[in-house]
Amino acid sequence: MKIGFIGLGIMGRPMALNLLQGGHQVSVWARRPESMQPLLDAGAAGAASPAALAEAADIVISMVADAPDVEQVMLGEQGVANSPRAGLVAVDMSTIRPAAARDIAARLHARGIDFLDAPVSGGEVGAIAGTLSIMVGGSAAAFDSARPALACMGKNIVHVGDSGAGQVAKAANQIVTGVGVLTVAEALNFAARSGVDPARVREALLGGFAYSKILENHGQRMLDRNFKPGFKSWMHQKDMNIVMQSAHELGLCLPVSAATAQMYNAMVGSGLGEEDSIAILKLLERLSGGES
Amino acid sequence: MRVGFVGLGAMGRPMALHLLRAGHSLALWARRPEAAAPLIAAGAVQCASAADVARRSEVVFTIVTGSADVEHVALDAGGLGEGFAAGSILVDMSTIAPETARSLARRLSRQGVEMLDAPVSGGEQGAIAATLAIMVGGKAAVLERVLPLLECLGKTIVHVGDNGAGQVAKACNQMVMVGAIQAVAEALHFAAAAGADPASVRRALAGGSACSRVLEVMGGRMVDRDFSAGVEARLHHKDYGVVLAEAYRLGVPVPVAAAVGQQLNALMARGWGHSDTASLLRVLESVASAACER
Repeated sequence: MKIGFIGLGIMGRPMALNLLQGGHQVSVWARRPESMQPLLDAGAAGAASPAALAEAADIVISMVADAPDVEQVMLGEQGVANSPRAGLVAVDMSTIRPAAARDIAARLHARGIDFLDAPVSGGEVGAIAGTLSIMVGGSAAAFDSARPALACMGKNIVHVGDSGAGQVAKAANQIVTGVGVLTVAEALNFAARSGVDPARVREALLGGFAYSKILENHGQRMLDRNFKPGFKSWMHQKDMNIVMQSAHELGLCLPVSAATAQMYNAMVGSGLGEEDSIAILKLLERLSGGES
Repeated sequence: MRVGFVGLGAMGRPMALHLLRAGHSLALWARRPEAAAPLIAAGAVQCASAADVARRSEVVFTIVTGSADVEHVALDAGGLGEGFAAGSILVDMSTIAPETARSLARRLSRQGVEMLDAPVSGGEQGAIAATLAIMVGGKAAVLERVLPLLECLGKTIVHVGDNGAGQVAKACNQMVMVGAIQAVAEALHFAAAAGADPASVRRALAGGSACSRVLEVMGGRMVDRDFSAGVEARLHHKDYGVVLAEAYRLGVPVPVAAAVGQQLNALMARGWGHSDTASLLRVLESVASAACER
């Protein structure tokens, strides 16, 4: 399959590499030309613009920061919608607002391009291993055509529903993980400040109903005080903002997400934005007069 | 002075009338012409577009709903921007995002037009009585020129700082005020649940340290169960969108505002957006009675 790939950051680079390894013909474009080099070295072709990618591809995939970036590469001056090959499917794997995804889908559809929102969960580790969870919104036909490409990047690939449904699933994912990281940090800080070894508490909890992947993985990194990202706090702040904006638009009451979003605001405002989201532990310690 | 006015809603109508009565010549444009009728009868001139209003005026006031509405009136085809001569002044009294106010001021300054953001607090009553609090962002020299006009509309006029600073003050005003409405709603709901008469509790509190304008006005509405607007709750909901977006942009934690924002979301979901924000009491009551409704 001929695949165009846009956005070669922490996530995009290994994802594009996995497409190459899956035997697909991959062309790439990135805003910073130097980030294209590792892919060119691995056998990908370089393109001058997203428009140039779309002329030759069956599928164009974008993995960029936020909705304005997706709009730019899809619908901007040198964007995918400029001169697409007939039957082109555009797949955006970034995390953006569901309403923005629906809007972009409608505008691309008006120009004869099928669009899937297909955000991922699993982080850099999952991107490298090709084991991402992929949550897809869009038509079943487009999902079927994109599936062989998606299968090179992820394991758990779910067609959630129509356009925007993938982003809704991702927002729900971020509610559970964003709040989850905070509760694990609160529990371990509670244990430590109560004079009990948090490592033993984690171990005890892992066997019961409080078990979660976050308690296991993030909890361990909190104990190790390993704050290297991982998933940077500013990205979780951005994702919680997507959740809260959607709640505002829909008239939804999300009290726990709202409180969590404020903690992520405080992290970014206090200079912890570039650290892993588990650095929320440091914030709790500051608020409780403890370590750091 | 030749004054223009766009936005003749519950707030704009009495404000425009004050300017007219103070002897200024007034040019108007309204999306719905019937909104202008009482003012035309009082001597104002109806224009065919916002651009026409700007052409005829030295100073134009706008008071519309949100950021998008202000941008629409100022920048779209047939908008104010098309009619402004260099040296004219736009005073936007709507409540919008500080960033939108700043970028609009920058864009207008390219054609030599000055802008002030001057959002107000005090509600429809304050507009009618000309006792509004006006929070101004922009150049001091520009404020000086329009001060006689603002004095027709309000009592407390504070120059907060540069462009956007008025909107920052208004966002702070909404955090304090709606936070207080929620606190009063919780207190009165708590009182009733605990078996005390909310009216008596409110009277008792009014004499002490918990005394506030919100306890008096919104608390009174809650006790009387009069939820007809005052200020429509949907507008506070909109303003909380501005507050929380700005807190996000700045990386500032606003834990109570965020919690209050969720209660406002619930209020909207119950369909009470056009009633008074005192309806936050009804949100609490609906949670308490949720088990019964099932």
